Amino acid sequence: MIDPFTLSLILIVALTLMGASVGLAMIAGSFVYLIFKGFDPSIASETLLQGLFNNYTLLAIPLFILAADIMNIGSLADRLLRFAQALVGRFRGGLGHVNVVSSLIFSGMSGSAVADAVGMGKIIINLMTRDGKYSHSYAAAITAATATVGPIIPPSIPMVLYAIVSDQSVGFLFAAGMLPGLLMALMMGVMNYVMARRHNFPVDEVVPMRELPGITWKALPALMLPVILLGGIYGGIMTPTEAAAVAAFYALLVSALFYRSVSFKDFYQALLGSARSTASVGVLVAGAITFNYVITRENLPVSISEFLGQYELSRFWFLIVINLLFLALGMVLEGGAILLIIVPILIPSVRAMGIDLVHFGVIVVVNAMIGLITPPYGLLLFITANITKQPVGRIIRDVWPFIIALLVALMVITFVPDFVLFLPRLLGYQG
Amino acid sequence: MEQAKSIWNWLGRRAENILALLLFSMFVTFILQIVFRYFLSLPVGWTVEWVTIAWLWGILFGFAFVVRESDVIRLDIVYSVMPYGVRRVMDVIAGLTIAAIFLYTLPASWDYIDFMMRERTAYIRIPFFWVFIVYIPFAVSVAVRGLMTAWAGLRGTGPTAVPDTRAETHDYD
Repeated sequence: MIDPFTLSLILIVALTLMGASVGLAMIAGSFVYLIFKGFDPSIASETLLQGLFNNYTLLAIPLFILAADIMNIGSLADRLLRFAQALVGRFRGGLGHVNVVSSLIFSGMSGSAVADAVGMGKIIINLMTRDGKYSHSYAAAITAATATVGPIIPPSIPMVLYAIVSDQSVGFLFAAGMLPGLLMALMMGVMNYVMARRHNFPVDEVVPMRELPGITWKALPALMLPVILLGGIYGGIMTPTEAAAVAAFYALLVSALFYRSVSFKDFYQALLGSARSTASVGVLVAGAITFNYVITRENLPVSISEFLGQYELSRFWFLIVINLLFLALGMVLEGGAILLIIVPILIPSVRAMGIDLVHFGVIVVVNAMIGLITPPYGLLLFITANITKQPVGRIIRDVWPFIIALLVALMVITFVPDFVLFLPRLLGYQG
Repeated sequence: MEQAKSIWNWLGRRAENILALLLFSMFVTFILQIVFRYFLSLPVGWTVEWVTIAWLWGILFGFAFVVRESDVIRLDIVYSVMPYGVRRVMDVIAGLTIAAIFLYTLPASWDYIDFMMRERTAYIRIPFFWVFIVYIPFAVSVAVRGLMTAWAGLRGTGPTAVPDTRAETHDYD
């Protein structure tokens, strides 16, 4: 007789491999577990309903999605681009650097790498490929790569998901992402410089310094959002969840008042699109919450912790193994799925190793983001391929240098916890 | 047939209206909450409760009536490389399994939700029954869609879910 837990695991894996919704597969697996255990199957529906109802932090997700969708209908992206161009366009590989900087600024307003790639992607790719300055595939590759910074710099939807499963503070996680995000951007800037020298990429038209104040002024409303968000959260004025609503409100206000670019129809489409994304990611969250009941009941995290304990891995090797595991998972799984399914199982092991959970959160999210640009399932590659109408294969060829740059950043992030935890500690984090 | 289709489409658009309205109400309520708490120093329990209800409904109602098959988050690494015939078989098995499990557990779930008639939410004081009832149309819709997938697989008419890599379906990653 096969035991109910194994049966439910097999069912979930089989259903997902057969193309069923991952969230539904996990709910179905939980039902089957309860039935074969001889328990009341309604425990699963109860866990699902109560879990969604009682996790207030999760509510940041729909509002951050909405904020990004509103920013993407406005002409905010144009202004930011102009600002970044004035700032770094003058260096070799100029538009590549503009790409890095504008992604960095955009990431301070949106919590999603995909929103980042869509918001800036189309415009910057057009700019880079006009007059044949850069190849389409290089423009697509660097756009996909720089978008990964989006959820590392706060705000961040993946960090919210991690906060839920690890029971850590969203505020400290946001703060912990700051320096790593800057480091990643720096590494990609360096890589762009190296590539620019090798391929002799042009310098962009130099924007005269005297125009800089005017351009900055025009971009200022957009540049203020990160300040408002972070100031609000760390000043104790609002919770991260409320900050998400403020971000959406601010984006709407700025787009409508200053840039006059949002119609009622646009706003409705943004609402509907965000609500639709929320529902599909919400069912994944619901599945994870439900199956988490089964996992906890079976004491799986503790068993894994004991299993790993046998090998007496040092912290160094444990982190190496974890990184390899997550990079491999990132090749085939979505970021959200990794965070919601794999992370809860590993938390006790991480704790047993004495690794700080805020630090671990940043490691995991960076891994998940690198997973978005690694073949075969690299979502950002598909998106930029779609924008440029280039075959994904060619973009993959050009994205490798950036993956290497990001892996170097990942090593620093993994092995220098003080670097990651510097800002959270400054804000009062005890860890 | 034409008429049935146009009624169906009309209903679909109304469902979209409701979903968009739910998110809009969350958005407005959050803003009110901040204004109430920091500018007027008024208690805000009901706002927290309303947004969590809207969130729960948004997910389950939205998944049941608005989310398209192509929006659903799936892992298609194996599925997408299978020949068409194998994918049809997979559709039939997966569709029937999901439908069977959600239908079989429906009575027990109903009992739980019905039982929650006795408990009320903390601030708005409505019975939890009315909050959780949305699970029923969700589960029924999941089962019906499972059966439709299986049926399409049997007849060989289905789109056999092509994964969607359009950006707007993934703006949470």
